Amino acid sequence: MTRRINLLITAVFLGAWSQACPAQSAKFDQIASILGKHCLHCHNDIDQEGDFSLETEDSLIESGYVHPGDAENSELLHVISVVDGASPSMPKNGEPLTSEDVNLIAAWIDAGAEWPKGFSISDAVENFDWWSFQPVRKPEPPGIQSDWARTPIDLFITAKHRELGLTHSPMADRRTLIRRLTYDLTGLPPTPAETEAFIQDSSDQAYENLVDRLLDSRHYGEHWARHWLDVVKYADTCGYDKDKLRPNAWPYRDYVIRSFNDDKTYARFVKEQIAGDAMFPDEADGILGLGFLASGPWDFIGHVEVPETKLDGKVARNLDRDEMVSNTLNTFCSVTVQCARCHNHKFDPFTQEHYYSLQALFAAVDRADRPYDLDPQVEQQRSELQASLKKAQQQLKKLDEQISEAGGPNLVGLDKEIQTLSAKAGVQKSAAFGYHSSIASSPDTTKWVEINLGRPVLIDQVILHAAHDEFGDIGAGFGFPSRYQIELGSNSDDQETWRTLYKSPSDEPNPGLTPVVLKTGGQTIRTIRVTATKLAERRNDYIMALAEVEVIDSKGNNVAADATVRALDSIEAPVRWGKTNLVDSDWARSADPKSEQRLSKIQRERNEIWMRINTPERQQERKILDERIAKLKQEIDKLPQGRMVYAAATEFKPQGNFKPTGGKPRPIFVLHRGEIQQPRGAADPGLLPLSADEAWQISSNSEAERRSKLAEWLTRRDHPLVWRSIVNRIWQYHFGEGIVSTPNDFGRMGALPTHPKLLDWLAAEFRDGGQSFKQLHRLIVTSSVYRQASGHHDQNAAVDNDNRYLWRMNRRRLTAEEIRDSILSASGRLNLDMGGPGFYLFELEKTAHSPHYEYHKFDPTDPKSHRRSIYRFIVRSQPDPYMTTLDCADSSQSTPKRLETLTSLQALSLLNNRFNLEMSKQFSRRIKDHSDDQRDQISYAFQLVTARKPNAFELDHLNDYANTHGLENLCRVLFNLSEFVFID
Amino acid sequence: MPSLNRRAFATGSFANLALATMLHGDAQATPALQTLHHPPKARRVIQLFMGGAASHLDLWDHKPMLEKHHGEPSDFGEHVEAFQNGLGPWMKSPFKFSPHGETGKMISEVVEPLGKCIDDLAFVHNMVGKTGVHSQATYLQATGFQRPGFPGMGSWVSYALGAINENLPTFVVLPDHRGFASNGPKNWGAGFLPASSQGTAIFPQRENPIEDLLPKSDFVTPQSDEQGLRLLTELNRAHQQQRISDSRLESRIRSYELAAKMQLSAPAALDLSEESPHTLKMYGLDRAGRTYPDQINADEEVEYFGRKCLIARRLIERGVRFVQIWSGNDNSFPRRNWDSHEDISRDHGPLARGMAVGTAALIQDLKQRGLLKDTIVLWTTEFGRMPSTQGSKGRDHNPYVFTNWMCGGGIKPGVTYGPSDQWGYKPLDRNRPTQVYDIHATILHLLGIQHERLTVRHNGIDRRLTDVHGNLIPEIIG
Repeated sequence: MTRRINLLITAVFLGAWSQACPAQSAKFDQIASILGKHCLHCHNDIDQEGDFSLETEDSLIESGYVHPGDAENSELLHVISVVDGASPSMPKNGEPLTSEDVNLIAAWIDAGAEWPKGFSISDAVENFDWWSFQPVRKPEPPGIQSDWARTPIDLFITAKHRELGLTHSPMADRRTLIRRLTYDLTGLPPTPAETEAFIQDSSDQAYENLVDRLLDSRHYGEHWARHWLDVVKYADTCGYDKDKLRPNAWPYRDYVIRSFNDDKTYARFVKEQIAGDAMFPDEADGILGLGFLASGPWDFIGHVEVPETKLDGKVARNLDRDEMVSNTLNTFCSVTVQCARCHNHKFDPFTQEHYYSLQALFAAVDRADRPYDLDPQVEQQRSELQASLKKAQQQLKKLDEQISEAGGPNLVGLDKEIQTLSAKAGVQKSAAFGYHSSIASSPDTTKWVEINLGRPVLIDQVILHAAHDEFGDIGAGFGFPSRYQIELGSNSDDQETWRTLYKSPSDEPNPGLTPVVLKTGGQTIRTIRVTATKLAERRNDYIMALAEVEVIDSKGNNVAADATVRALDSIEAPVRWGKTNLVDSDWARSADPKSEQRLSKIQRERNEIWMRINTPERQQERKILDERIAKLKQEIDKLPQGRMVYAAATEFKPQGNFKPTGGKPRPIFVLHRGEIQQPRGAADPGLLPLSADEAWQISSNSEAERRSKLAEWLTRRDHPLVWRSIVNRIWQYHFGEGIVSTPNDFGRMGALPTHPKLLDWLAAEFRDGGQSFKQLHRLIVTSSVYRQASGHHDQNAAVDNDNRYLWRMNRRRLTAEEIRDSILSASGRLNLDMGGPGFYLFELEKTAHSPHYEYHKFDPTDPKSHRRSIYRFIVRSQPDPYMTTLDCADSSQSTPKRLETLTSLQALSLLNNRFNLEMSKQFSRRIKDHSDDQRDQISYAFQLVTARKPNAFELDHLNDYANTHGLENLCRVLFNLSEFVFID
Repeated sequence: MPSLNRRAFATGSFANLALATMLHGDAQATPALQTLHHPPKARRVIQLFMGGAASHLDLWDHKPMLEKHHGEPSDFGEHVEAFQNGLGPWMKSPFKFSPHGETGKMISEVVEPLGKCIDDLAFVHNMVGKTGVHSQATYLQATGFQRPGFPGMGSWVSYALGAINENLPTFVVLPDHRGFASNGPKNWGAGFLPASSQGTAIFPQRENPIEDLLPKSDFVTPQSDEQGLRLLTELNRAHQQQRISDSRLESRIRSYELAAKMQLSAPAALDLSEESPHTLKMYGLDRAGRTYPDQINADEEVEYFGRKCLIARRLIERGVRFVQIWSGNDNSFPRRNWDSHEDISRDHGPLARGMAVGTAALIQDLKQRGLLKDTIVLWTTEFGRMPSTQGSKGRDHNPYVFTNWMCGGGIKPGVTYGPSDQWGYKPLDRNRPTQVYDIHATILHLLGIQHERLTVRHNGIDRRLTDVHGNLIPEIIG
């Protein structure tokens, strides 16, 4: 309370106003407070409801609602005042202003409506007076007598029932219980044998034993990981435009499964996912957990093709950090902090400053593949080699500097002019670029390409034309070797004796689009070979490329046109690249020949200077350094890499414009309206305040430390949000509805808890009782409230139709994954292998550019795909149509609760999808193996999908149908039963 | 009503929350908007989306200044951030422009077939985007947001208004058969709206043009299918009767009845054999079985796009609410979309010709059948292209200005609104550009919906198609 006197608004200070006019501040603060509290919610610069805003002096004047010096004629006063006893027309959705406030505004207008220069009012909420910000205190369970209650949970529930006049439902029968519990804890159906055993189990502990068995099952982790992955937007592709594959995303998915199965404590689970690399550096889980921060969508073009210096590049990176901030705060705190990206949060006490301070926590992080199971000794070696490499590279750089220095201002001037002219010269080219060697990892690899003229020809000159490709922003001279030689031959191909026409004396400058002309002095030849002895750098790799080789005879004709071309190797990627492009009489030319001529002239000048200053000593030095660098790189490449996981990273292999920060945080600014072009003050790293007087900024410049502080904050014992958030999620997955029905939002726009004390009791019990998920499940599923039947009750429904107070269990539809897994299970096809790369449910085509995921071409008989759905390869932009129709989570957004729809397209999918049809066949085979009697077969099949035997009526009908149409058709019908897709 | 049927939201004093209630249990037909906000002028929408970014300068937005200064170094009078390096000399369109209709609107020769209905169109030449990145720009124009996870316009409309004919999907998408444009099906995903409002992709050339419409199997016969459905209904009915007052179980039974009807209605809607030779000719579909060269060519584009347009008309006629047609696939090679960095003439020529023949036929056909008056046709793309060259014949991205046009369904015919500047680089009046929100707001308005009042609360935020923006464009409303 001491930090800020004015609690209701924050005035964003822009200019040097407070020093200049301190006398005005007190009064204006009051006005700003009133406007901020009552008006700004709608009438701000962004929303501009009614087409006006009161946020800044300009917008106030423009609104026309205020005439400075004349309150009586100011419309603003009229709309907020009581006129003739009628309530004021504004604020539309809130309490009217008090008469004192109205008087203050009137006086302020009459006094000239002075507005401090550059001041803008914001409508920040600073009020922490909301249930979710109050400390978690463990309440005593209601001290009431109840024969029904088995656990403290039941006491809270029954107390509410009594308060509202509700009664609980009877306990569900054993068949219902085992089906409910098995799906709930493992996502799979119980087998007929398991069902039978449980029904027959006469032990007092039959139910508890069942719970223990299911919690011990490895399938528990598979099922509950799916819930978690829904919330964090997990997928195996990047999404957006190209929707490129993320082949190393799955280790995070497996990490989550393992964490649930191992019953990892929640604090540990949270910490690993935010700052595992910093906090548990010696453990693989410390890195695997960071898959959390990388799990959402990522814009390939915005990062790889657009540099960070361009606006589009900045926008992409801003959105990327937003993704990390919202994923973290939504998931762990159930706070919709992303609302404060463009303006202060309208309902919760979070400002833009807070929001961008959270972005600053992730300012150095990107999403990329990083190794997760490294050997410390190897890493020691790696860092030593990298240090040597860096040193050698610095020496090389110094050598370059020495050379340019020797070239003096003349060289600088020429380089500058070359740059300008190159831009001006432009390029004219067709889609056929030329010849492109395969890619080498070192420049010292030799590549050659050879033209056979087919007959001896007297030639006059050889002309090389460099290629042009915008790839890697290279453009003109793409792939033109730094050193090369041209050899001429006159024999047959097999035993050529070569005469050297030309050999680079040293590294040569790139000719760009200027043809390289070499006179032969009249030689008769049959073949000509161009050999690169030092390749051109492309993007951290090396190639040789040429657009065209012309061989001019004594009459001036190009005799190489359409000749035969051979090469050591060649990337054949028509139309752009191919050997034959080398002799297709088509090469990239300058669009502005005048500039090109000048360019060519000064490039020659530059070459001359270069040859002069690039002395033999310097050449020798460069050679030594080049060799050393190549050797070091080779040695680094040879070190074992460790397996990779797609995770938050500050070091990774660069790709185009997407480069690692090396741990150096990018500067973060508070963005007015969330726009990159409108940066305001710098945002220092901070956490969210949890009370009005809490210091929320953190002083830390190390990127890992920033995330560690966030992780510590998220697991604080006294955090009012984190513990409530997680127990509410777990509760929701058991009952279908959370105690708070908006699991990602505990703010003022979220729902209120139906049982606030129960929520706090669970949160405290979980937090202080070992933070074990399994213990929490056990507590919930052994309660009487969970064991209720799901039947209807007229009187209870009259009071609480939506069953918010749990007078019965909620019936629910199976999820997409549960349906698919159950179909596989019933058919006897389910392969229960765990972990590893995701299996495809599509044919993958055209991976080089934008991958095509062709679901309709997939063969559902492929046994590789007969695994649990948690292991499927999830495509973000082109999601699986079958699973989507069944309401699986959309991996582009956080899905804390699945929608449950029933549509005609869903009916079509379950009837006709090729997977369902194929599994109907498999299912029929399985039941034929089970028995020779058709009625037994049908009864078994019915049990496999519903966990009960059919009654006589059902069996007769099914049998009649099977008699006419066969068991395959019968199985197809069974997969469509409501009783199959719903759990009571 | 059972608990999962209805979501209870926070107590709050916000009047517009009624709309935020989602009914999950009902099969797809139930509109979220029980009463329209005002009388509608349109009931249906056809959206034509040009993937890769179609050039306003080479189709609709004639710039004499480029003809005059062709080849001179471009000078924008300010720093321009190009997406790639497309700031070469000014470049006139490789296509000729000429006046059409009574309005004398200048359009390019490659879209000349639209000259016949030019007086029906309302052009908006001052559209501005937010980014030159394909993916984000496509999302913005398709969903109103720059990032994934938001429902497409068709989903919002389906969600709000529900089906006209329950036997067909409410929102149908006809993708480019060669591949998806940026973001693929996420452009027509339901996002946080119920799955029933997502776009249903139809691939007329596939064995199952709608995913899972018919059983492709060696054991399902028409009799086993029909009797199987009857048996299923019987068993599901018995199950439902033991679980009274769970409306979802009833809905589920009904969804199977609707599915059976859709199995009959959808193939009929896609069957072009009953169209007259005259109609087929109009859509450029009178040359069945002809083969095409590998190079991109106008005849092939005419057939592809024309077929989608004719199917769109048949769907609209049968009560589909929203049809989205895509022209242009992903950025693979050889180019089959509008992203003409290298050569405007090569790609825009055939693509525009194909688009124009089909679109002109569609508009005229809708008109003569009396459907145009309550069907809005919207032509849109990702962003525009630069007035300067890239290479020597291509154009780079121009998110700073581009063109949309609309017609039918309450749109004022024969209007040109919001000019771009003399180069077609930015809006003439930079302070009053048109944004996608304004287009969306206007379309919703014509459908009887106030865009601010169509909201759904998702993760704590009342989401709407127009985010926190959107102004009607009265100049183009008839």
